[in-house]
Amino acid sequence: MRNKTSVMLAAVAVLATVAALWLTSRAVTPKTATWEDVVAEAEAGGYRLINTEELAGLYGRDAAGLLLVDTRQDWEYRAGHIAGAVNFPMEPTAWSRWQKKGEIAEMLGPDKARTLVFY
Amino acid sequence: MAVSLGYANVYRDPKGFPAWQEAGLPVSSAPLAEALAPAEAAAPGPLYGLAMLWTLLGIFLGGMALNLTPCVYPLIPITVSYFGGRSGQGRGSLVGHGLLYLLGLALTNSILGVVAALTGGLMGAMLQNPVVLLAVAALLVAFASSLFGLWELRLPSGLTRAASKSYTGYFGTFFMGLTLGVVAAPCLGPFVLGLLTWVAGLGSPWLGFLVFFTLSLGLGLPLFVLAVFSGRIEKLPRSGEWMLWVRKLMGWVLVGMAAYFVRPLLPPPLDTLALAAVALAAGLQLGFLDRSRAEFTAFAPIKAAVGIGALVLATFLIGSWAMRGPGVYWQPYSAELLARAAAEGKPVVIDFSAAWCTPCRELDEKTFHDPAVVQKAGREVVMVKVDLTKSGDPGHERLLAAYGVKGVPTLVFLDPAGRERTDLRLVDYLPPEEFLKRLDDLNRQ
Repeated sequence: MRNKTSVMLAAVAVLATVAALWLTSRAVTPKTATWEDVVAEAEAGGYRLINTEELAGLYGRDAAGLLLVDTRQDWEYRAGHIAGAVNFPMEPTAWSRWQKKGEIAEMLGPDKARTLVFY
Repeated sequence: MAVSLGYANVYRDPKGFPAWQEAGLPVSSAPLAEALAPAEAAAPGPLYGLAMLWTLLGIFLGGMALNLTPCVYPLIPITVSYFGGRSGQGRGSLVGHGLLYLLGLALTNSILGVVAALTGGLMGAMLQNPVVLLAVAALLVAFASSLFGLWELRLPSGLTRAASKSYTGYFGTFFMGLTLGVVAAPCLGPFVLGLLTWVAGLGSPWLGFLVFFTLSLGLGLPLFVLAVFSGRIEKLPRSGEWMLWVRKLMGWVLVGMAAYFVRPLLPPPLDTLALAAVALAAGLQLGFLDRSRAEFTAFAPIKAAVGIGALVLATFLIGSWAMRGPGVYWQPYSAELLARAAAEGKPVVIDFSAAWCTPCRELDEKTFHDPAVVQKAGREVVMVKVDLTKSGDPGHERLLAAYGVKGVPTLVFLDPAGRERTDLRLVDYLPPEEFLKRLDDLNRQ
């Protein structure tokens, strides 16, 4: 009787391993976001979009009043970034959001009216 | 996210840095020295930082597990009767004696470790030789077959008797510890031999001492506890059928080590599959086919857990091999290829490697199968492989001399103009993130 339970347990454990492996290592071709996706995402997130020219205008008028946040990985940031931007690496995952919640509030500072631009 | 924190003016620039840079707006980048600094840090391995703690903890637990082998078990009553006679001396003195006993045991074993590590330079070089790899694997399998009960391994009886004689005083206790290591050796041998070879592979006397000292502490800790609380001896489970099962478990660990040793000799899919096959067979036998029983109730769950653990390991090995993504696209070395890369202004990475070198395989399996590395290398870099598995190719010999390559792995980085960046040259395993940093520096010049 006991042997039957352990065989069942073994089957479950093996299946769980296969599932975990499949989830972590399957090859996913990242979808290239279309302009509509970006707009929809912005609406859902409640932020506005800005293009390079507008940003350049803003940057030219008042670079100090603007906080530029580079959300790419640190090696990308090191290779080159907009002058004055701070690096805050974010992976587009729920885990990363949850993990960095406290950190981001500290980085953005107490001034809620400050213009923030993420890229 | 910033919106939910109450910020009013939040923007996103979807085109980001590339469009900004193209428009010729102000950019900056970290100085080269800063970008390179983390790349100079030691490559993480099982013996750095936190991983070191885990490794030592594992060795410590392995040492404790050694107490379950049948040959150490008879020594437990000897130990207890030796210490039991002293119970009149008070707790403090007993602890002192126990510690000396433990120290003696640890010293005997640590000397083995130091000797192995001191000959490590020699053994390290030998370990890359196929004949030696096969011999070590055969020895491990032979010891494993002893643990499976096919033959008996024992020391001459005169030595055993002399070592188990009683001595008095603190020195006597210390000497008991020293000799216990020698008496237990026939049984511990199979397990410790694998560890010895590993320590020799590390090539550091200090690490060798540390590893074996930790092992002995694990081995001696239950004995130490027994020595101090020697009144409760009758609560121990009796040596019986379950001991044979523990021996089989140790035997399978050795067979697994043997499979690990011959890994570099097998062509890529087979090496992992061999390990997986060992794990599968071990799991089936230890967890399900073996019929040994014990009077204590914890035995059956432990058996099932070990069996299931081994099966999961086998699944993991097979699965990670079967589900691995594509690797970096390598081209064989040719002078025209380098000329073309220079003409196109592409940097080049030349990888000198061989099938029998462990860090090369690690580089190949981890770094060169990392999705980010594969993507970046495919787009921006010409990746060239020089396979030195078989020596004697005159073309390869010329290349080795030209680039001053002393061993494998060696990665040579050529900038877009075709000159070598000697500061980036790599002679060991490097994790994917660090490798990406180097590619980045290469592109910047």
